[in-house]
Amino acid sequence: MDTDQLIHQLAANPAPVRRLPAPWRRAAVWFAISLPYVVAVILAHSMFSSMPIDLSHILHDRQFVIEQIATLLTAITAVMAAFCSVVPGYDRKLLLFPLLPLAIWLFSLGDGCVRDWIRLGAGGLEVHADWQCLPPASLIGIVPALAIVIMLRRGAPIYPRITLALAALAVAALGNFGLRLYHVGDASIMVLVWHFGSVIVLAFIAGWIGQFVLSWKTTGLAAGSRRR
Amino acid sequence: MDPQNQADRLGLLMRAAQDGDASAYLRLLNEIAPLLRRAVRQQRKFLQPCDVEDLVQDILLSLHSVRATYDPARPFLPWLLTIARNRMADGSRRQMRRAANEVSVAEYPETFSVAPTNTLDNRYGDPQALRQAIGRLPSGQRRAVEMLKLREMSLKEAASASGMSVTALKVAVHRGMNTLRKVLSVEA
Repeated sequence: MDTDQLIHQLAANPAPVRRLPAPWRRAAVWFAISLPYVVAVILAHSMFSSMPIDLSHILHDRQFVIEQIATLLTAITAVMAAFCSVVPGYDRKLLLFPLLPLAIWLFSLGDGCVRDWIRLGAGGLEVHADWQCLPPASLIGIVPALAIVIMLRRGAPIYPRITLALAALAVAALGNFGLRLYHVGDASIMVLVWHFGSVIVLAFIAGWIGQFVLSWKTTGLAAGSRRR
Repeated sequence: MDPQNQADRLGLLMRAAQDGDASAYLRLLNEIAPLLRRAVRQQRKFLQPCDVEDLVQDILLSLHSVRATYDPARPFLPWLLTIARNRMADGSRRQMRRAANEVSVAEYPETFSVAPTNTLDNRYGDPQALRQAIGRLPSGQRRAVEMLKLREMSLKEAASASGMSVTALKVAVHRGMNTLRKVLSVEA
């Protein structure tokens, strides 16, 4: 098929398409789906387990508040960047935007580790497994992850690896925002290793499989329909 | 035409195409095809014309599949050129993968994968001479060769048909084949 024939074929019957809303609108929709789910998982878990949420001294714990704000901002900027990345024409620098709150989060945790070390000595940097946290940690990302993948697949897979890594960052950061409510008094090293570490690992894994989840084939692009 | 006006017009055509306007879409695709061709030629100078056309078609198909992502409030050309650059990069990666998996050979073997073409031609070339040579064999060897080689009987079948023992048949066919090989190689 030559190019003129292809053009006539494509233009022969172009079905009207529903325009993709602006990235910030899509991000808002994702939050509207994900945030209630995260809250529901946290509340359900606190009700049926021996891990009640203690928010009494949250406002007095400055480091905790900074961490939580940075985590939430990481989720917000990452989801915005992910939705921008599937719309051709946006500046690629936008994709770096989540690094700023992520750096604040990391810096805050590092600062906490140093304080714990000064306060408690080597014992303040001990890492141990907290298996009680595993069930909610496994559940908390399911709906946000499914929602974001479905929404991203409606876009253009321009940077599939980066897009999915950003999506995973958003999901994991939002999940951690909820999970951290269980761990108000936890040592920073625990949060750094288990929470921040899992966020980074998930983002890397997602980036690795990005091109399999988001590809031009998933957009309905007919393979093999070209000239030869 | 003023490039800004052209970009605005393309944006309007795309907007109409998103709403299902076939003629606007046709005009749009006809106008952007030469732009894409030029962009591909500029950035991939080493490509043959047919490969350039392949890439242009790939970009047009990609544009078609993600046309819902165009926001009429945003400029059209950056949207188009991002898709074009992405598909060109994908095309280059595809070509590199293909080149990495290809093995250059100086001479192609003269064979095909289908079974009938791979039948080895190991029959004797002169059937008349073979028939005469078999006829000159001693009767025991001739009968053994006829039954076991020409009629492809099993040793058991040949033994019961001829009344010879299996061992005698084996010896006779072995000797007969040796004689035939000698006679025919001398004649050749």
